[in-house]
Amino acid sequence: MGSYDLVDVEVTHESADDILDSLSGDGAEEDHLQTIQAVRLQAGQPDSELRSLKELDENSVKLLEHQVDAAYRALFEMDGKALLADEVGLGKTIEVGMILKEMHFRETDESVLILTPAQLAKQWQAELREKFGLNFVCNYDDEFEDFDAHDYIIASIDTAKSERHRQTVLNRDWDVLVLDEAHYVKNEETDRYDLIDRLSYNYAFFLTATPIQNELTDLYNVVSLLRPGLFGTRDVFHQYFVNSNQETLVNRDELQDRLNKVMIRNRREDTDIDFTDRTIDTRTFNPTPKERELYQAVSDYVKGAYSQDQGQKLVLMLLQKEVVSSPVALKKTIEKRLYDQSELTHADELESILDLIDEIDTVTKQERLLDIVEEARDNVEMGRVIVFTQFRATQQEILDRLAAEGYTVHAFHGGHSSSEKELIIEDFEEEGGVLVSTDSMSEGRNLQFCNMLVNLDLPWNPMRVEQRIGRVHRIGQKRDVFIFNMALKDTVEEYVLERLYHKIDLFQQSVGELSSILSRLEESGTSFEDQIFDRLVNADSEVDLENDFEAMAVDLQEQRELADKLEQFNNGVFEGFDLGEGDD
Amino acid sequence: MTDEALAVTQSLVEDFAERYLESLGGTIEKRGDTWEVTIPDNEDTELPAGSLSLLCGADRDEDATGESLHPESEFFQRILREATERHPTGKLSIEADRDDAEIPQWIKEGDVEVREAQFTPYYDRTAIVVLFEVSIETVSEYQQELLRAIAIDHRSEQRLPALEETFLQMTSIPTNGSPTTTESSLSGSDARSLLGTAQDQLMQSIQNKIDEVHNEASRAADAEVEEYRQLQQQRIQELEEERSKLSSKIDELSETINGSNQDDRVEALKKRKEAKAEYEEVDAELSALQELRDQGFPQKQEEIRKRHALDIRVTPLTVTQVEYERGEIDVELAEQGVSRTVTLGYGSGIGTTETVQCSSCDSVLSVENPLNTIKGSIRCRSCSSSNN
Repeated sequence: MGSYDLVDVEVTHESADDILDSLSGDGAEEDHLQTIQAVRLQAGQPDSELRSLKELDENSVKLLEHQVDAAYRALFEMDGKALLADEVGLGKTIEVGMILKEMHFRETDESVLILTPAQLAKQWQAELREKFGLNFVCNYDDEFEDFDAHDYIIASIDTAKSERHRQTVLNRDWDVLVLDEAHYVKNEETDRYDLIDRLSYNYAFFLTATPIQNELTDLYNVVSLLRPGLFGTRDVFHQYFVNSNQETLVNRDELQDRLNKVMIRNRREDTDIDFTDRTIDTRTFNPTPKERELYQAVSDYVKGAYSQDQGQKLVLMLLQKEVVSSPVALKKTIEKRLYDQSELTHADELESILDLIDEIDTVTKQERLLDIVEEARDNVEMGRVIVFTQFRATQQEILDRLAAEGYTVHAFHGGHSSSEKELIIEDFEEEGGVLVSTDSMSEGRNLQFCNMLVNLDLPWNPMRVEQRIGRVHRIGQKRDVFIFNMALKDTVEEYVLERLYHKIDLFQQSVGELSSILSRLEESGTSFEDQIFDRLVNADSEVDLENDFEAMAVDLQEQRELADKLEQFNNGVFEGFDLGEGDD
Repeated sequence: MTDEALAVTQSLVEDFAERYLESLGGTIEKRGDTWEVTIPDNEDTELPAGSLSLLCGADRDEDATGESLHPESEFFQRILREATERHPTGKLSIEADRDDAEIPQWIKEGDVEVREAQFTPYYDRTAIVVLFEVSIETVSEYQQELLRAIAIDHRSEQRLPALEETFLQMTSIPTNGSPTTTESSLSGSDARSLLGTAQDQLMQSIQNKIDEVHNEASRAADAEVEEYRQLQQQRIQELEEERSKLSSKIDELSETINGSNQDDRVEALKKRKEAKAEYEEVDAELSALQELRDQGFPQKQEEIRKRHALDIRVTPLTVTQVEYERGEIDVELAEQGVSRTVTLGYGSGIGTTETVQCSSCDSVLSVENPLNTIKGSIRCRSCSSSNN
């Protein structure tokens, strides 16, 4: 290590007069043993245990040993400043949830700021609420006012650093700062780094599976934000820990000692996480001629309307999604649009779409769904299947149809109260049959008793898909899981499914891998859904569209490969380092 | 939690509380998790005399009355505080079991059978064991609290690490072999002198720990100084640029003064005066900063290093006079029909006080290189294996 001047050491020996005075005491020293024991007990006060653990609802969150250990170490051995760098998919969010829960229990969390990539903010909010009962306001919520108006905030880091909010964020003394995907602040010359560097906080927890992105200095930067001075100066770090070609670390023992004070990295092989197999069955069906005609009419309408008024993007996107879910979902939206907005342009086009809807007598997906649930009735315990759809209207129609066919059905949607939801899940477990759910089903719901899932329609946001699957294929699932994807041929759904989702192996991704790909994608500034929609409306021909999706797939695949490479690189760098669970 | 602390579990809490209350003359009637306690008038305690219900464990019904007894309960904290101050000095005797002496590791780890070991005490010796609390604090590191036991022989003033171990075992909970403590017979001056020795030994024993924190703190201070230096260097550059800009501005204004009409000249003169004043201000700040830089920012450095300085506080909490016996043990060894008796200096609570050498290579027998054979002579494992 480079040379540095030693700071002073002041040793004070407290007086022993009081103790020695008792030598000439009253002779009652037979209880001296008790005093020794009391002194030893007092030194062993259990001020460092996770007291909030017993408050957690076991049905909402299943904690793993390495997660409890990480939370404990971050809080009590690292003085509340830690870099949680577990390998992908080991539940870093859970670790932070436990830490925050514990701090809440100990009332040391008057103000908490969680900064995440934009795409993950809502997911963080849902997980903390459902698994840990912690309520945060997200900057995308309507009720969000500003960073000085709430005490528990989840926000995208880019919102926090924006011109509009930056000063408010910096003016506040935060008790706790959580930074997800912390590798994005690796560069000390960026606004993001500057924001974190200037933020005032007492405790901080940074999360990343890949603390090193390009060069080993990244590690220095991230760690120095948490613990300034742990590695000495930048020059010293370079001279002492990095070999000259920047690719490997030297003096590894000492580096490990230092890192152990601030970083926790659990490896998959050291944990007891074991997922069962997952079988994916994607079924693409030919739509009836009427369905095809309807799809074409809606697509043309969306394209035309968007080229004239881009402000309607959201509703047009909705129509495009509904047309492949069910005619009835589409019908509802169009009617609402027609009757609620008197000065609607293209009203005639919409009227003619309604006519096309009315002409449809066979809904292909519904018919084919019957095949799948029929298979389930024969092969799966109590015929339990969960069918996911994005739309309430589709859900209702399916429920009616399945009930008419004699199936036991259960409906689950956002309109139910919490206790109703509990009851629905219980009924589903006891009675079996088909649970038809919208995406409002929370992460925390424990559905491991079911191992068959149908995606009747597909969200354009891959995180949503992962969340659906995560509800059945999670820690504690003992059987293999079967996932059926349903899509109509030559529709956007087929593109999304075949060209995008299958390209990145979405359905086989382990938990967490996807978020690292998506947050990489976010670096380029566009959301996944927007990209899909833009391609759809801007393509001049069928061939163009195919090429566009192909290009997006290549891009995705590249991001995935990069994410994989980084993961491997970090594993290589930390190979042989023991930064996981403590010895005891 | 520190090294020699006891883990505070519910059963330890109950064990300790029971003995403490009884030592005050109290009585306890147990009904499941509820204890009905009666405490007599006793000047040794501030606990109120009379009856009291204690509810063991952290789970209690809403309507239950009485004090809670668990690791974090106020009642337990109260008796703990009281007990730590009650009898900080006393005497503990370690009586050896004559027929069950502690066999040294170099024999236990070896290949020779021990037939018998007998301890013959010759005289009593006195030592003290001091429990110290050490706190190490600095701004950049988590505060560390240590609890350490240091044993010092009265006569030789040598440290006795094995006695420290025995002391900790004897005073753990549940208490091993129910040792009793009596009044210490040490004089104040003896105790003070031994305490001084114990303090020195303590500092030696924790020196590595202190060095570690000391280096960390120094490194953190150094990084802060370096950052400050860089920041000031940046400021110097900014000031240099500003000064140069002002200088050019003054030159420009001088030119304007020379070549313009009176009104403009007056205006320019005013501006030049302002610019000059500003120039001087910047120049003064720059010179001061440069001077400080050349000296290495002594004041700032001192301020930073002072803030990072280590504050170590050593507090003796208990002083125990320990009486133990010294003498000899005879260890009878046997190996394939051959037997031999080894006699070693021994103390109760401290084990053997002598080392034994291999008769072949003269190296001291140890756990790593234990006794291998007694045939012919006493030989270590490495000698025996090299002969094979």
